Amino acid sequence: MAKDDDGGRAFDGRYAVVAEGLQKSFGQLRVLKDLSVSIPRGTTYCLLGPNGSGKTTLIRAIVGLIRLDGGRMQVLGQPVGQVGRLYPRIGYMTQHRALYPDLTLQENMEFFAGLYGVMGQRRADRISDLLEMVELTEHRDRLAGDLSGGMYQRLSLACTLIHEPELLLLDEPTVGIDPLLRQAFWEYFDGLAAGGVTIIITTHLMDEAERCQVVGFMRGGSMLAESSPEALKRLAGLFTTLRLWTGDLEGDRARLESRGYEVRVGAGPALEVVLQSHDQIKAVLDQVQPLDVRLVEPSLDQAFLKLAEVR
Amino acid sequence: MRPPSFSGQKVGELLESRYNPRRIRAVALRVVRQLKRDPRTIGLITFAPIFLMVLFGYALSGEMSGIHLGVVDHGGQDGLRSSLQGEKDFDLLYLGSQSDAQKLISDGRLQGAVVMDGGAVRLLLDASSPQVSDRIQAAVIQGLRPREATAGQVDVRYVYGYDLEMMDSVGPAVLGLVVFFFTFITTTISFLRERTQGTLEKFMVSPLSRTEMVSGYLLGFSLFTVIQSATTMLVVVFGFGVPMNGSPLTAFAIILLLGAGALVLGALFSNFASSEFQVVQFIPIVILPQVVLSGVWWPLQSIPSFIRPISYLLPLTYSSDALRMVMLKGATLSQVLVPDLLFLGGFFLVMFAAATAMLRREVG
Repeated sequence: MAKDDDGGRAFDGRYAVVAEGLQKSFGQLRVLKDLSVSIPRGTTYCLLGPNGSGKTTLIRAIVGLIRLDGGRMQVLGQPVGQVGRLYPRIGYMTQHRALYPDLTLQENMEFFAGLYGVMGQRRADRISDLLEMVELTEHRDRLAGDLSGGMYQRLSLACTLIHEPELLLLDEPTVGIDPLLRQAFWEYFDGLAAGGVTIIITTHLMDEAERCQVVGFMRGGSMLAESSPEALKRLAGLFTTLRLWTGDLEGDRARLESRGYEVRVGAGPALEVVLQSHDQIKAVLDQVQPLDVRLVEPSLDQAFLKLAEVR
Repeated sequence: MRPPSFSGQKVGELLESRYNPRRIRAVALRVVRQLKRDPRTIGLITFAPIFLMVLFGYALSGEMSGIHLGVVDHGGQDGLRSSLQGEKDFDLLYLGSQSDAQKLISDGRLQGAVVMDGGAVRLLLDASSPQVSDRIQAAVIQGLRPREATAGQVDVRYVYGYDLEMMDSVGPAVLGLVVFFFTFITTTISFLRERTQGTLEKFMVSPLSRTEMVSGYLLGFSLFTVIQSATTMLVVVFGFGVPMNGSPLTAFAIILLLGAGALVLGALFSNFASSEFQVVQFIPIVILPQVVLSGVWWPLQSIPSFIRPISYLLPLTYSSDALRMVMLKGATLSQVLVPDLLFLGGFFLVMFAAATAMLRREVG
């Protein structure tokens, strides 16, 4: 288990969600197995894992929709049994669209605003701002049922954000959204996180996980690793490499190795120099005169394949 | 940090957190907006009951083929008796005394009675249905004809009963049935949709309590129940001449209470359906037993006594009784309080509690 803290978890105010030893079974099926998680406040946290790894179950446990069989959890400093009191501060976007297809966009948003007591001018402002953010302003009087899948998803996100929640749980929020808008979403999420909002996102897309500050890698109901994407790659033994095509393969290899670099001969053939940090690039290039150079970043994919293999 | 508060304030806060009128209004407004945008359901709610009533009305408003005639036979008129027995249109009911006959006529159970007492023949007729009275009178005179001399001795008396066409008796009860049926079906489907489209799960993670949710539905739907019962009532009263001897407001109150019961029953039953197709399957389970056993079409007394306990558990039994009392006999609210309104109110409360409790368990 990759954990930053030593031993017991700190059940204190630093974390939006902190839990230890969570257990949940549905009949014979164990969906959460001794799962632990620490989600610092004001971060973007990604729950990453294949289908059936327990991501949605964990999300639903955090918001109190399922009763845990065992373990200890705090949400926004409250024991999970009291999470009902926190609902005005939580935004939850399910995998379902959870909207009314027979209401207009405006009416859908007004309804959810009403549930959270967002009224008057504040309601009008929030609806305008959010519709603009999800680029649906010109569709506000259309029926939600007439929207395309991606538009629907955007509206669902806008409705989830209506009451400015401080803890946001998004279950696969970017499914069906085009890359440009997805980029905009992530910028928006980063902005929210910078303002102290904690965002928990589930996904099985690596490039999305890559954008989060912390990634929790789940598999089979357990947390395999929980760290920043970069740290996860290092944990998996994956490093950035500099691939060099040179005229003198063996000579350059010997020179670099004598300077303490780890060097392999890879396909090409080319030299592969393992970098501890990007600062080393210039130092390496000072040693050799390559014909061509390429920087190869390890992917989160590779990290997870490795981690899943190891454990 | 919130300043320390008195416990009274805390109770207020708790109430506010559990039962906030603004959230209820948000749900009600949404329900109304949704229904407004669904012309077919509006049509179903308002015009289908009218259509049904028209259908029932024409099917039931015709004269009854059997004329219910009481016979009090103290002897002396064998010829008349056998002549009446030969009349195909007459259902004869033999009674012990003239006062029995009078009572049954004023209750609307008989259209007339013949009292044969030696040489004298007395004819009691329902003043409110002249055509039937004429028919009875003609038959009696016909029966006496062989002994013309006694014809003049027929003593005719009119009893003021009421003109109990089938529609009069059934109309008020059907009014309840129609509202119950459509409210039950539409709310079951609405709640089912909340679950299948994921909005219910979202509510569970919002400040909206289950009580508020169901209350919001009640508020939103009551508007349509009022429209529905008003249109149906107009058709029943003005289209088919069913009397409205009591206050229409009292009748409204009964229908609204019944509709509220149907709504929470629908919310409860939505937990047992996973598709609209399955909702339709509730019709034979929930609606049909009420149609058959609750005294809408025939008196409760004609239902075999071993099934009758079931009748006493069905809300329509009580709404039918109450609506008949108000519309036909002019009963006031306090006169239908026990047992009718009490049962309907109790039914609503129990189902409300069950529906909100089930909504909780469904997700956990």
